[in-house]
Order: sequence, then structure tokens, then C-alpha cells
Amino acid sequence: MITVNAMGDACPIPVVKTKKAIDALTADETVEVLVDNETAVENVSKAARSMGYEVANETLGDKQYKVTVKVLKGAASAAEDSGSCECDCGKKNVVVVIGTNKMGTGNDELGQALIKSFVYALTQQDELPSSVLLYNGGVNLSCEGSPVLEDLQKLVAEGVSVMSCGTCLNFCGLTEKLSVGEVTNMYEIIARQMKADVVIKP
Amino acid sequence: MRSKKPALVFAFQNVTDALAVEKFCQAESLPGRIIPIPREITAGCGLAWKAEPEDRNRLVSALDSAGLCYSGAHIVNL
Repeated sequence: MITVNAMGDACPIPVVKTKKAIDALTADETVEVLVDNETAVENVSKAARSMGYEVANETLGDKQYKVTVKVLKGAASAAEDSGSCECDCGKKNVVVVIGTNKMGTGNDELGQALIKSFVYALTQQDELPSSVLLYNGGVNLSCEGSPVLEDLQKLVAEGVSVMSCGTCLNFCGLTEKLSVGEVTNMYEIIARQMKADVVIKP
Repeated sequence: MRSKKPALVFAFQNVTDALAVEKFCQAESLPGRIIPIPREITAGCGLAWKAEPEDRNRLVSALDSAGLCYSGAHIVNL
């Protein structure tokens, strides 16, 4: 039994956390997700069902709900979802795409200060993006020596997927230096943007 | 809602001053980082230097003795 605590998390974080927990499993397991609102119950249930798993809900108390997902690895459907929020809670699925380690063109020193400023400001938002996708020069930000590592780690801790393009890490000789988030590929980079309500590119 | 805590924030007249402070602090291993100026501070350029409130004396004296300019040192909940 694995417990995912998504109490107090804003949509779509409960779904993102649940999917992460399920994806990390290598064998059949029951995953319990604790949430504090009915919309999250709906979203987590819908997401787990779309992955092909059996779902049960339970009200534990005031603003306390439990969603139990029976994960049978053989039952997984091919349906892939990237943590988009399909509810009507009014919150947007925001994806941030960073293709360089400088923000804007003109002056590089200023551009580097601006990108640091941008990633910091992202962490200060009340509603966080579902994903931050890094490619080309952007992968420098998720690797050893990056001035925004701590900010990206903070985002990951809040349930944001920070994903760096594997081709880019390889090309830049940074594969061994990746320090936060996970490696991704072009299909995922496209899929996440296709499912986004808003794509932000600094 | 995100929890906030007090931070020391230096504001600057212009971006060049902010970048000079960043360069100086990094070279001298002084604490802090560049952030966009918080909305709570209306004066100053777009960039600010953020550190912990307890770093105030150390930073103020280091910046002053290096002759670096800033337009104010504020405590803001961030």
C-alpha cells in the first residue's frame, strides 16, 4: 500500500502526484490518495480510470477524502495523460517552455539575470504550472552549477514536472550533470504542450 | 496559499547597479540572489537583491564599503 498525500494541493497537483506514484510502481500495488476536496476526488478518479485501473472513493471526514486505486500493471491502458486538469475548477493547465538560459535577446548579461528572475517568480505563484519543459540552452538551468537549481527543486517538491530534453543534455555533454527533474523526449515535449491551456515561453 | 516569510530586499535605481551587486556578492561569497522586484516595493528598477533579514548588517556594510549603490534595503514578506 502506497499513500499519496495531496491534502491542500491545488488542481492539477493531486492528479500529477497520483500519476507519478503509479508510474513509479514496478509491481501490482494499491495506491491511496488523500485529498481535501471533491473536485480532486473526481479528477484523481478520472485519471486513474483512464489509465485502466479500478477506483474506489471514501469520505473520511470534513474535507478529507480518500481515493483508492488498485494498480494492476497488466491492466494499464495505453491511454497517456500528462496531468492535465480536466475539471471545471477554472484552473488552467499551464506549461512553461524554456529554450534558452537567457531571457529575451539583446544583452546576454541582462538575459541571464532575467531568466533567474523568471524562474524565481514562477515559484512565487499561487497556481503553479503542471510542467516546466527545458530544451536546447534551457537544459543548462536543470544541471549542476545552474543559478536556479533551488527554484526548480522547489517546483518539483510542489508536484511540478521539470523535464529536460535528453537529446539536448547529450549534445551539450550535460547528461551526467542533470541535477533536478527528469529526462524527456520530443514526443512528451509536444504532448504536454498539446494538452496545455496555456503555454508560457519566457 | 503559499506561506510567506520576511526577506531582506535591496532595491536599485537601475539594472546596472543590481547586476553590479550580484557580481560583487558572488565574487565575495556574500548571501543573496537576484529576484524581480516584489510588488510591495514600488520604487526602484525591475531587479532586486534578496537575502535573509539577518544578513542585513553584513550586506549593508559590504556594499557600502565597496561603494556599490542601492536605493533602499527593505524587509518584505515573500
